[in-house]
Amino acid sequence: MGKVSLVFFKEDCIGCHACEVACKQEHELDVGPRFIKVLERAPLYIPIYCHHCAKPPCKDACPVEAISRNEQGIVLIDEDLCIGCKACAEACPFGAMQFDDDKEVAVKCDLCIERLKNNEQPACSKACPTRCIHWGDMKKISKEIEGSLLQG
Amino acid sequence: MGEVKKIRTVCRSCHGGCGVIAHVKDGKVIKVEGDPESPISHGTMCSKGLAITQLAYHPDRVLYPMKKSDNGWERISWDEALDTLAEKFKQVTKENGAESIVVGQGTGRDYESHLYRFANLLGTPNVLTAGHMCYVSRVGATLITCGNLPVCDYEGEPKCIVMWACNPQWTNPDEYKGEGFWRAYIKGSKLIVIDPRKGFLAKKADLWLQLRPGTDAALAMGFFNVIVEEDLYDREFVDNYVNGWDAFVRRVREYPLEQVEEITWVKQDLIRKAARMYATTKPACINWGVPTEQTLNCTDCTRILTGLMAATGNLDAPGGNVFFVPPPTRTVSEFARHKDLPPEQRAKRLGGDQYKLASRVALITPKVAWDAILTGKPYPLKAGLLCGTNPVTTRANAKEAYDALKKLEFLAVIDFFLTPTAELADIFLPAGTWLEQNHVADNWKRHGYVLARQKAVEIGECWQDHKVFLELGKRMGQDWWDTVEDALDYILEPSGLTWEEFKGKGYLKGDQVYYKYREKGFSTPTGKVELHSTILEKWGYDPLPKYTEMPESPISRPDLLDRYPYILNAGLRTPTFFHSANRMIPWLREIRPDPIVEIHPETAKKHGIKEGQWVYIESPRGRVKQRAKLNDGIDPRVIVAEHGWWFPEIKDPGHGWDISNINILTDNSHESMDPVMGATNLRVLLCNILPCEDEQEGTRWERFL
Repeated sequence: MGKVSLVFFKEDCIGCHACEVACKQEHELDVGPRFIKVLERAPLYIPIYCHHCAKPPCKDACPVEAISRNEQGIVLIDEDLCIGCKACAEACPFGAMQFDDDKEVAVKCDLCIERLKNNEQPACSKACPTRCIHWGDMKKISKEIEGSLLQG
Repeated sequence: MGEVKKIRTVCRSCHGGCGVIAHVKDGKVIKVEGDPESPISHGTMCSKGLAITQLAYHPDRVLYPMKKSDNGWERISWDEALDTLAEKFKQVTKENGAESIVVGQGTGRDYESHLYRFANLLGTPNVLTAGHMCYVSRVGATLITCGNLPVCDYEGEPKCIVMWACNPQWTNPDEYKGEGFWRAYIKGSKLIVIDPRKGFLAKKADLWLQLRPGTDAALAMGFFNVIVEEDLYDREFVDNYVNGWDAFVRRVREYPLEQVEEITWVKQDLIRKAARMYATTKPACINWGVPTEQTLNCTDCTRILTGLMAATGNLDAPGGNVFFVPPPTRTVSEFARHKDLPPEQRAKRLGGDQYKLASRVALITPKVAWDAILTGKPYPLKAGLLCGTNPVTTRANAKEAYDALKKLEFLAVIDFFLTPTAELADIFLPAGTWLEQNHVADNWKRHGYVLARQKAVEIGECWQDHKVFLELGKRMGQDWWDTVEDALDYILEPSGLTWEEFKGKGYLKGDQVYYKYREKGFSTPTGKVELHSTILEKWGYDPLPKYTEMPESPISRPDLLDRYPYILNAGLRTPTFFHSANRMIPWLREIRPDPIVEIHPETAKKHGIKEGQWVYIESPRGRVKQRAKLNDGIDPRVIVAEHGWWFPEIKDPGHGWDISNINILTDNSHESMDPVMGATNLRVLLCNILPCEDEQEGTRWERFL
């Protein structure tokens, strides 16, 4: 497998928020940080999420190098290093970076790294009733989205 | 620290059916996930089901029985609680007759078999359910028309799907979940969407018909007009299997497309296109939703839609609307002992003479219960037992519902939380969530499956609803079983399985046979699909379906338009809440902190309303506040508002039940209801909107965090 990423095929997002709650449950998140947030602009639904960019602007913006991209391509935050300056949140073009008010650190999607280790799909993608959340290497994702386009 | 145990079970955060794997560690459910083996949901889940742990372990959840005393709520034992109920019910039965006890449920999430058994053996014909305007009304109307409820056969690969007033991917369409629809749709089916509001499916649709709310029956007649005029019906089926076709066609001719366009606001060309697409693409199915039922055209609209399925040859045909063969289990009807309610008690059913179809399906419309309590006519109701229902937020004319329940001499409520309804009770009984029960799930549905809902944990002193009815029934001297599981063995007996064996299997599916009518006809008096209904005729109603204009609409009441210029479509569904449930669940409330009312941008501008601003919505019956959301996918003449709102974070006993509750505005007068079923009209009334001056910006909820 090459570098992994996460892509929502927006065209098929129904705005049901199952991905949001699945993510909250998986990461034991309380009210506040939302690693995925779906905006409702019926009939359009716009998922806000981390794209695990190849050149992450959040990583470039971090003054203390708390953000890294691992060998799989997953962009991660080291909470111990984070100083809570929110420069990453400013830099993220997608609005995906979240903040934990209690710990005063930036937090984000880790693509369910623990689940991937066990060959399980990310929690959001598993719950999605239209299966519009694609993950894996770009070849796999492109193929799946091409399939969706043909169906739609 | 213990190991994680995985329990295969079935969700019930709506009417349920989706397969779940519950992860249990040290006696606590730590996580739930979709079950990939589920024939219903194939591993997917919705936000409501995924948030079940936050409901089950919620700090405000009541975990033991309580009674109301002078010092407020007081903890008591199950013995004391059940003895109190049994004693009260015996006393009322002796002094006033069992009919003076009303038993009620909300959407009856899988316990109506037990609730009805309790009511029937008690001898009360007065059972309140949501069925007067939701699903059971559909079951009743199809029962008298074609003998059974026709359900979309998504596994049979329809080539055309008509989504008629339904959003199954967000809400609960009873038989199938949105998952089944989606799998059929992406195989390349055509899609026709009938919806006053442009949602996801309207965007995807080949044809979207944006009708005036509440005019579905007229639109269906428009479809029929095209099908008859252009000879697009299945002549062989009509000749052999329809009762009253010629008379029905004469009725259809009373609905020329010009007139249908005027009534429905849908352009003639579009009606014609949609009717042709539905009638000529085979197979085709119609997936109906509750808005077709929540008007005074409830029964007629269901009957016309059934007629469309029949006339196009799609009834009980693969990929059409079919009668699924259930697995071999005891039916809800047999379990509930409907036949054992004495005829003299049945004759006392409130509103039974007026709403004969409701009586036929063994329920009463709430209005007749409120009347009996508030006026004592035809006789007073003295005591009530309500299970999983919050009528002060979810029934039409909420103020009347509230006054009636408040006045009721004795009330017991089974629920998870102290809802505004539960706060009016004398006894509170704590219910178990779906993680805390053993049950043969979906046995009442008509999709051909039964599923094993297995207990994952026990929490506090909560009991599954079934156990409450069983233990209370035994105290009343009724015929029940020793345990909940013994009753499940009885339900499963015809299948040859015990509950223990069934658990291992996970589910049973009936052996589907299509075109059953070719052998047996239809289960109606004439053996045919009765577009001319011999039953309605015998009961003294119009035997042919028609469209009736709503009593409070721009057409019926132009005199009200100065003050109330807009049509209010009440009950905009949300994906995170199930009617009045889940407002206290942090993960869900965070997504949707406030009650939303959608307004067209032009309309908002006219009233100086900005996105996110709190507004008053007013009808002739009252005024509530919701938060404005601008949506250009609705007609500027229509306002669409959410229902079921109360505020668990407000701690006084009313919990803000009347602040944003859209049913403060709805009507339940007899003239506004379906004359056969007593369905309340929740989709069409007149309203006004104006900005709220006294409400600060921002969400209410955040002030309580």
